[in-house]
Amino acid sequence: MEKKLSEMEFDEEGTVKEIKENLRKQVAGMGIREGKEIRMATKQPIKGPVVVEVDKSFTSLGLGVAEKIVVEVG
Amino acid sequence: MKILLMGHPNVGKSVFFNRLTGAKVMESNYPGTTVDFTKGWMRLEGEDVELIDVPGAFSLEPKDRAEEVAVKMLEENRDSVVVCVLDASKVERGLYLALEIIERGYPVVVALNMWDVAEDKNIKIEVEKLERILGVPVVPTTAISGEGFKELVSKIKEAAPVKIEKIIESASGVRVATSAGEGGGGESAAVSG
Repeated sequence: MEKKLSEMEFDEEGTVKEIKENLRKQVAGMGIREGKEIRMATKQPIKGPVVVEVDKSFTSLGLGVAEKIVVEVG
Repeated sequence: MKILLMGHPNVGKSVFFNRLTGAKVMESNYPGTTVDFTKGWMRLEGEDVELIDVPGAFSLEPKDRAEEVAVKMLEENRDSVVVCVLDASKVERGLYLALEIIERGYPVVVALNMWDVAEDKNIKIEVEKLERILGVPVVPTTAISGEGFKELVSKIKEAAPVKIEKIIESASGVRVATSAGEGGGGESAAVSG
């Protein structure tokens, strides 16, 4: 099933399926690229940022960024 | 010759800087921005060499002012050797930046910093293999204790520019046609993964 990264539940895992073109370069340096396995580590309340785990390291993303990333989940 | 310290935010560049310069630092304000960089001098084989602590950047596609400064400093110091400081426990992420810098034709030395942290996390990195693939010196370091610094400093003079096509070749085994048309526009490949 596909969903936006911003819609993932806490501790849910998935594979990055699609990143909006204009965002691709921005997140690539943080280790988020298509095909990468990703896990939702923390969700902050009130439209706060999300923290995701990629390759054993954590990255925080603004909700607006997380909405533009599509993840395939189990 | 100048030496630029580059890397992601929070990988220990400033600890590096202080160790290499002996904290003989002066602060400098880059015109037009509020982002500071630090400049200092270090001894390299009997010569005093300028060392610049560049603001942390994730990539060379600037998204904020700090990264803009980082890119600008790289561009304004074409004759410098870049010591690319990576967090050894997040090595894949850092290699992206390292490759971008190598691609722009700079001589690079890769420092796998926080080696102790990586060891604690049971992360094993094949340094020689990485060195072979990248074609640039790779040195494990622990800036906080000073481990690996002697070796790092000794490798700075060895750094030489490497063609990105060469790295793709040694990483994937696929021969890459260069923009000059070498190989008659045959197969081309990109770094993936």
